[in-house]
Amino acid sequence: MFDPKKSTPKVDHEEKCSGEAKYVSDIVFDNMLFAKTVRSSIAKGKIVNISVPKLPNGYHVVDHQDVVKENYVKMVFTDWPVFPVNRVNYIGEPIMLVVGPDKLVIDKIISQVVINYEEEEPVFDLVNSVAHKSFKKGNFAEASRRNVRTIKETFDTGYQEQAYIEPQGMLAYLEEGGKVTLMGSMQCPYYIKNAVINTLGYPEDKVRVIQPAVGGAFGGKEEFPSTIACQLATAVVKIKQPIKMIFEREEDMLVTTKRHPSSITLEAKIDQNNKVLGIKADVGLDAGAYIGLSAVVLSRAMLAVTDAYTIDNLEVSGNVYITNTVPTGAFRGFGSPQMIFAIEMFMTHLAKDLGVDPFTFRLNHLVKQGDLTSTSGLFRDPIIMDKMIAKATEMSDYHRKTKEYAKPGVFKGIGMSWFLHGCGFTGDGESTHIKSRVRLVKDEKDIVHLYIVAVDMGQGAKTSLKRVVAMVLDIPNEQVVFDYPDTDLAPDSGPTVASRTMMIVGGLLARAAQKLKDNWKKGEYQEIIEQYKQPDYIQWDERKLQGDAYPSYSWGVNVVEVEISPVTYEVQLKGIWSVYDIGKAIDERMVIGQADGGITQGIAYGYLENMRHEKGKLKQKNLTDYIIPTSMDMPPMETIIMDNPFLYGPYGAKGVGELTFVGGAPAVALAIENAIKRKVNRIPATPEYIMELINNE
Amino acid sequence: MVKHIIPNNLQEVLEVLNAGPCHIMAGGTDLMIQKRNTAGTPPKFTKDVCYIANLEELNYIKKDDKRNSIVIGACSKLEDMSHHPDVPDLLKEVIREIGSPGIRHSATLAGNIANASPAGDSLVALYLYDAEVVVSSVDGERIIPIEKFITGVRKIDLRVNELIKEIIIPLLPITKYKWVKVGGRRADSISKVSFAGIYLVNFGLVSDIRLAFGSVAAMVARSHELENSLKNHTIEQIIDDLPRILEESNKLISPIDDQRSNKVYRRKVATNIIESFIKGMK
Amino acid sequence: MNKIRFNLNGEDVTVALDPSLRLLDVLRDYFQLTGTKEGCGEGECGACSVLVNGRVVNSCCFPLANAKGKKILTIEGLAKTKRYQVLKDAFHTEGGSQCGICTPGMIMAAESLLSINPHPSDEEIRIGLSGNLCRCTGYNMIIKAVQKAAELGAGLW
Repeated sequence: MFDPKKSTPKVDHEEKCSGEAKYVSDIVFDNMLFAKTVRSSIAKGKIVNISVPKLPNGYHVVDHQDVVKENYVKMVFTDWPVFPVNRVNYIGEPIMLVVGPDKLVIDKIISQVVINYEEEEPVFDLVNSVAHKSFKKGNFAEASRRNVRTIKETFDTGYQEQAYIEPQGMLAYLEEGGKVTLMGSMQCPYYIKNAVINTLGYPEDKVRVIQPAVGGAFGGKEEFPSTIACQLATAVVKIKQPIKMIFEREEDMLVTTKRHPSSITLEAKIDQNNKVLGIKADVGLDAGAYIGLSAVVLSRAMLAVTDAYTIDNLEVSGNVYITNTVPTGAFRGFGSPQMIFAIEMFMTHLAKDLGVDPFTFRLNHLVKQGDLTSTSGLFRDPIIMDKMIAKATEMSDYHRKTKEYAKPGVFKGIGMSWFLHGCGFTGDGESTHIKSRVRLVKDEKDIVHLYIVAVDMGQGAKTSLKRVVAMVLDIPNEQVVFDYPDTDLAPDSGPTVASRTMMIVGGLLARAAQKLKDNWKKGEYQEIIEQYKQPDYIQWDERKLQGDAYPSYSWGVNVVEVEISPVTYEVQLKGIWSVYDIGKAIDERMVIGQADGGITQGIAYGYLENMRHEKGKLKQKNLTDYIIPTSMDMPPMETIIMDNPFLYGPYGAKGVGELTFVGGAPAVALAIENAIKRKVNRIPATPEYIMELINNE
Repeated sequence: MVKHIIPNNLQEVLEVLNAGPCHIMAGGTDLMIQKRNTAGTPPKFTKDVCYIANLEELNYIKKDDKRNSIVIGACSKLEDMSHHPDVPDLLKEVIREIGSPGIRHSATLAGNIANASPAGDSLVALYLYDAEVVVSSVDGERIIPIEKFITGVRKIDLRVNELIKEIIIPLLPITKYKWVKVGGRRADSISKVSFAGIYLVNFGLVSDIRLAFGSVAAMVARSHELENSLKNHTIEQIIDDLPRILEESNKLISPIDDQRSNKVYRRKVATNIIESFIKGMK
Repeated sequence: MNKIRFNLNGEDVTVALDPSLRLLDVLRDYFQLTGTKEGCGEGECGACSVLVNGRVVNSCCFPLANAKGKKILTIEGLAKTKRYQVLKDAFHTEGGSQCGICTPGMIMAAESLLSINPHPSDEEIRIGLSGNLCRCTGYNMIIKAVQKAAELGAGLW
């Protein structure tokens, strides 16, 4: 009997260690040209005219005039141009490509391009709202009229850069018959295919997307690659030679999507028994120059308002603001990290203001099975948070340390965050937008092939999904094949986002495999196609944001211990403990690997990673100035996975990819608070901010 | 078309330098990045380049007993210095926090000096030790104290035909020292503020005390007047004098706002560090 | 044109290329050894790590000229050795590789560390790998992998 938790050899381990794994920048074609982008140097204005030098033979310029059909990148809205026609909206906006065989000649051409702008006053404040959402639960107004105390606070979060170690890149070429093929660092082959089809006006079978090895993504390669794919597709149709465009680090940092900076105001109504009767929340996200996925990020941020607590009365509103800065986008957590930071800090601050023990106060509001969610859906499945909290408390010696570190003159601190993550797309996204399909093929040699477009970007999908099929079919791993996704062979099983890969795609594969098993014909070719069907119990109203936002929830507890130097205000991480409920771990080693990486990113979001702009220009634009943790910054980490199988997930699995990110920032921020005895309202809680807090009393 | 010269010996380097302006590249960890061009293309050099990294002739760390100093050849790698028994402990500690092993296996002390970055960590230790830079040319040698050699941000007193040949570091009979580097993280970071302090106690009196700050001025900030005013006092007297020491230190430094930090933080931390150092003297 | 002679992965080679070219580009573009990666181009991330006379360096800020007369080892060269097998197996059992882009560099840095210090402590491993950034693993499993390799490979280093 296979044990899903058991770890098996990663299928791509050999090639990744030996350097044989081919990432897009490793791929070389005959006759290949390079492309480099000419970008806006102003934050806002009209393009008056552009003068391009006389181009040597074999060199081309590609701009809006070359766009075949639609000059927008298909995402949710249509405001993001492939190439701007006569307006630019942020510093670094791509205006045209210069394509040719020699990079030095390309650089020379670019240096001779002259763009005349009519500059306009850019907007950097959060004032231009392009999307507004709101929802209610219970009756906040009524709750406010009771005998309550009102406490209100605002929380701010900054940019976060994904800083995948492999920068973005794409390769476009024409196959026989003029089929446009794209290969690149990506998370969503069909997002790219659909965007290119839309821009070129081509039929389905004339565009192909193939995924090579991907060196980290974290959401940064969810929608952004579609923009360069559309540009390169336009170029390759014009020039008819393979074209490769690889971003160098600085370019990548300056112009690709990053986490939305946010400002969140929370107002609580608390009764005389120290029960939070209601919360009013207002969320503001900085979308940068184009909306992209920001409205969806806003939804998730708003829906996370009560985190792992049950609050009966809510009034939640939010806005997506356009500013003349680089467009922001998907990043692990997708809006919920911002909100969970805010609400976790807020709950502890409330307790402090009320003069009660924060742990007990929070515990009194902890969600239970059967409670209504923030959108009045139901937490139908068992919740084991109380066990997880008890375990984390014990592992980290939390209570003793909290008391000890609260003493004046002690600069150590410990903080604990409680959090959840809704698995999969919000609401009915799976059934209305994605309509995921998987394809299993058994050949005459009885080898089973997986045709899906789930991208392995390090989380081990290539290995774990294969394993699910092998387990269901009760055959050895080696009898199952899952090659790199290719849209010519695989139907749209959906994007590799939203912590849906194991739960949804793995679930479909398990069902398909079961059908194959029940009808196995030795030595015969068989094909099974399985389509996603939303469980009936999911009821969601997208307009009112009411009902079951997610089919299931994963849960987590993080504890972080810090020591702060009273001389330099620097934070040193001393210990990290985590407990997670992700249903069931498929390959526990890989899951813990995800947990380690997620919490490292999450904690760094809370205290280390600082990115700001000045008049629309990012000040931190390389890995020297944008600080991510090194091996010396991380202490040893201890993680426990607790079983709580989900009925509709393969072997009980729920989502894991984002959950492990979400709790890091509030845990470290709470630890810093415990150490410095001041309220933290902003992340990253850098030494500069800590100094401000300590000295401005 | 720039020429690239890989010399066989020091004399050849000096002759090349004398023939016309050229870059001297040792490890390349600063120069290759400063001049870098698009990936896959050569760096943007506008002068000839002379590559001295592999000149064994300049790869030495030796004790000079006559001068009671240690002499570091221009091509000694930082990593080798960090393990050498005769290199002062303070300097070793500084070097261990520079960059990463990969950087330290290529980078050289001479390169750090030539770069003359306001955030150069090794420079703080060199100023403290009154190190001297020996420059060589076809016309002979000059020996210049480090604080005269570095004249501004990325500016050094090096003539067009001169090469930094070696660095002389006097060995001090000092065991009490402190090095503080405040970077963005615990490895691989550029200093926001740095401080080095050393002192020697003889018969209850502090006979020598040296203090220097890095990354908070155009060059390493050190005041001989301040130091002299503290010499030949007891530790208690020096600790009592803390308010004046802090005041003088504050005048020494002129931190800035940049992408790494801000001037308020840098100034406060520099003040905290020296306060902590003085109070910690025993 | 300068002719630069050096030893690459056990073989003597001579290249007539611009000596100021980054060794990284010479390896990837001229020799088609794409196991060495570019992550930042400024000596920060270590994805470009190679060994020069057994010591790890960032090939993105190492000029071809400096390779003259040296033994250069890339991941492709190391992969032929027994030590590599031990490291690779340890990375596998400890989960030290996720997206893989930092892995060749990490293995090169580990080899450099272990050849100087065959029995490093946890702290020493972290120092040895401090120039190699990883965004996927949080480093825990990588450190364990190097520890395991040091144990299993006793005598090899």
